Amino acid sequence: MKRVLALMLVLTVAVMIPAVAMAKTIKIGFINSITGSEAPIGENLTNGVILAIEDLKGKGVDVDMIKEDDMGKPEKSMAALEKLATRDKVVGIVGPYTSATSNADAKMAERYKVPLLIPAASKEEITRQNLKWTYRVSATTGDYGTILLDLATKLGKPKTMAILNENTDFGVSAAKSAEAIAKEKGIKIVFAQAYSKGSPDYRSTLAEVKAANPDLVFMVSYAADAILLMRQSQEIGLSPMAFLGAGAGFSVAQFAAEKEISNGVFSSTQWTKDAPWGDSKAWFQRYQSKFGKAPTYHAACAYESMMIMGQAAAAAGDNREKLREQLHTGKWNGILGEVSFQDYDGYQNQRKAQMLVEQIQDGKFETVWPAQFAVKKPIWPFPGWKK
Amino acid sequence: MAVFFQSLISGILIGGVYALIGIGLTIIFGVMRIINFAHGDLLMVGMYLTYFLFTLLHIDPFVSIIVTIPLMFLYGAFLQKFFINRVLDALPQNQILLTIGLGLVMSNTVMLAFTSDYRILTTTYSSSSFNVFGLSISTPLLISFAITIVITAILYWFLYRTDTGQAIRATAQDRGAAQLMGINVKRMSIIAFGLGASLAGTAGALIAPTYYIFPQVGSVFTLKAFVITVLGGMGSIVGATLGGVLIGIVESVGGVYIGSGWKDVIVFVVFLLVLLFKPSGLLGTSKD
Amino acid sequence: MRLFMHNMRGMSVFPVLLTVAAAAGLFLLPNFVESTYALHIMILIFISVIMGTGWNILGGYTGQYSVGHAAYFGIGAYTTLILMQYHHIAPWYGAWVGVVVAVAIALVVGSICFRLRGPYFTLASIAVAEIFRATALNLRLTNGAEGILITDIPPFKIGNTVITDFMSKVPFYYMGLVTLIIAIIVTRMVQNSKLGYYFQAIREDQDAAHSLGINPTAYKNAALAISVVFTSLAGSLYALYVGFIDPSTVLALDLSVHIVMICIIGGIGTIWGPAIGAVILVPFSEALRSNMIAQALIDSGLISENSRIGSFLKDQLSHAHVLIYGILLVIVILYMPDGILGFARKLLTKRRKETI
Repeated sequence: MKRVLALMLVLTVAVMIPAVAMAKTIKIGFINSITGSEAPIGENLTNGVILAIEDLKGKGVDVDMIKEDDMGKPEKSMAALEKLATRDKVVGIVGPYTSATSNADAKMAERYKVPLLIPAASKEEITRQNLKWTYRVSATTGDYGTILLDLATKLGKPKTMAILNENTDFGVSAAKSAEAIAKEKGIKIVFAQAYSKGSPDYRSTLAEVKAANPDLVFMVSYAADAILLMRQSQEIGLSPMAFLGAGAGFSVAQFAAEKEISNGVFSSTQWTKDAPWGDSKAWFQRYQSKFGKAPTYHAACAYESMMIMGQAAAAAGDNREKLREQLHTGKWNGILGEVSFQDYDGYQNQRKAQMLVEQIQDGKFETVWPAQFAVKKPIWPFPGWKK
Repeated sequence: MAVFFQSLISGILIGGVYALIGIGLTIIFGVMRIINFAHGDLLMVGMYLTYFLFTLLHIDPFVSIIVTIPLMFLYGAFLQKFFINRVLDALPQNQILLTIGLGLVMSNTVMLAFTSDYRILTTTYSSSSFNVFGLSISTPLLISFAITIVITAILYWFLYRTDTGQAIRATAQDRGAAQLMGINVKRMSIIAFGLGASLAGTAGALIAPTYYIFPQVGSVFTLKAFVITVLGGMGSIVGATLGGVLIGIVESVGGVYIGSGWKDVIVFVVFLLVLLFKPSGLLGTSKD
Repeated sequence: MRLFMHNMRGMSVFPVLLTVAAAAGLFLLPNFVESTYALHIMILIFISVIMGTGWNILGGYTGQYSVGHAAYFGIGAYTTLILMQYHHIAPWYGAWVGVVVAVAIALVVGSICFRLRGPYFTLASIAVAEIFRATALNLRLTNGAEGILITDIPPFKIGNTVITDFMSKVPFYYMGLVTLIIAIIVTRMVQNSKLGYYFQAIREDQDAAHSLGINPTAYKNAALAISVVFTSLAGSLYALYVGFIDPSTVLALDLSVHIVMICIIGGIGTIWGPAIGAVILVPFSEALRSNMIAQALIDSGLISENSRIGSFLKDQLSHAHVLIYGILLVIVILYMPDGILGFARKLLTKRRKETI
């Protein structure tokens, strides 16, 4: 018992004393949801960053990455940022993953004047708060809807749309943006509902969507709910002009592998293996052989974020103010294409992302939109369910 | 109207699986008066078992329950013997925390072993359905519903027609009296937890072909199990069966007419009302 | 020791002096500690102590094991932020509005749920919290799943002098500390009052208490009301400090469990139990989360960073911290069922017997 108490005492003290050890390498913090309910996608970010550290080493930039788990909880994420900024004295931080944690951390980064580079959170407000120290690689939720409706209105003449989104921060923000864009384009919203994620049964909701008979079905779902929604759409016989999926759940490999239900579904994404930027294809293969699975765009965004952070930090030396200047004025070319951080449409320090639309054809993601980046022709309208 | 019947039928079918989860919890609660917060995690373990039996040994999920049931029984018995039996007389909040701790250990061990990736178990019939009077009925759900009925029937036979079953029921009714009567209460607890675990595992197996699997999947079902159990009357098996189906229907139909975001609110309000007006549950008789 | 232990009314000089000294030390601490990270952990500890002490009145003294206190934490947090963000009411008023709202709701909930006993009450408390969570997720007032983000906390002024602009952690530290001290004093007052005896009588045997003329529902509600005041204040403090709330952080089952856990680890039904629980649990889980153990082992030179064990610890342990936490939880429940305080007390009496 004494030993246990002594250990606890040591731990408590350990929390209090700032770390002494200083290495010659560049210290960069990385905050991510490694455990908890956001962990399945969080893992992609971790893997992406691991590849970035390797590549940075190849470029002569030796990064000492300090990895922190925030369990998807804002207060834990703040603790992580706090520790990185004040105790580990990192020069810059990549992360965190979710919108909720990013919001909490962005404010703190401002307070500590430490550059924060957000890789994958897409809630619009994050970069609309006049924050000086927060930069974002990820596209915003508005971008997801815009490109999809762009495609839909160019390929067909949809008049009505149903929106079905998961009841989370990401889901609601994306749905709101989509609704606004649809109105601009003169598409009538005939059904809009947020569902609570994780339920095994969406049949009744989908039956309602079917009864509303929309031309387009726009779905936002983080997780594997995408598969459930499509499986049950098939059961119910919901067959609109097109299924549009915004990000996350619709752009994971497991979803594409479910040919029977995923064929013909469009999803907007920030990166695909066919993306015409950098060595996307080679990177895709490297990721796959190293981790045994295909990367999502989250992995690519996290990779690129760490690459940018590493290179900018190397140029800036161990100086946060200089690093911020680097981020502010720099341009990078990697697997996300040319990245720079700009102020536009009320955003600050936001990457203007070129979104891509993928369609699942024969169990594979094929980039079909915009036309100049397309490798395959989009299949339009939705061919209907095989019976 | 079609929407109504469509949601009614899918509510009933999904309710069958809920019922299994509820029955498992109700047996554990009935015998030990312990609220098992790790119930969803047991279901998760069952899902992973099913998944690996399917992907590695190519055993159909619905067939694999023959393997899952005994394995989960042993696992539950192990948990009971080495952990839960030691807190049977402890304060209720300690019992709760113990099961929460066990749940955390289970979900995080699975995460370390198999990563937190979503896993999808796709069978040839995962998204197949057929039409009856213009309503689509999911084939895998219908099969799992049938299996639920069979399992519930067997369970009934066991609890009412065998000596061990009678002893379990006696323990559930009055622990002290059962002990006086010479019933080995600790052993009954082990059997009860084993049964509970195997039922949760079975529910996991039945839901695996139509759902997805990841280490934290349990939490959704733990809460649902509480609701079902109380609704039916803690300790009542028929009650839990009906409670499960009822929750399935409320979720499904409520989702349509009140909004799918609000359906959780409705479910919990129904739950509270039952607790208040008939704390013993819809079919419960046991008092505490 | 004996001499100090029990004077006439349970008051004694030595512990009081010790407590005052400790409090004074805590008040001076921000002047000496420069690490804001340490302050952050202290504030989290304070919030945990306040929640735990609040819960302890209901759960520890009155024996009503609520696993739904997140509901009141959330009500405090939401009321404060809604008033501040949308109605420009300063949080130091808003927090009290939060308390009033939380207590009012608690009394309604209590008069319904206290008809239930034991595990039924526990389940009902979970259901109430879930109803609030699901409702907050769907209401426009609470901004649904998107949550509420603070843009600015107005500076706290007395007259025209700005006391604090809430830019540093120090004001939050003091707000937490003061609330905590009040919570502990209230617990002490309750424990030594008639009210406290009634509470404990209900915990020991509700029916016997009833037959002695104690109205169980009324007193349970009283305990709940006191308990909710602190839970709600903790919620307000959290919301202001973190600056962002959404249903899955301030109304979650996880949070309710965390509250109970603090008390059990420390020792329920004791004045200092929640404080001890929080002081142990919060830094410990933080050390686990940020993988400080592995880092300490590597820094101390015991294990080389590049060795296999070193890299395993560095990469893998960060994934395993919740697992370790779970294992420790199981161990504590099995081997220290009365919490750290109870365990220490048992050790003390054992030793005393041995010396005699």
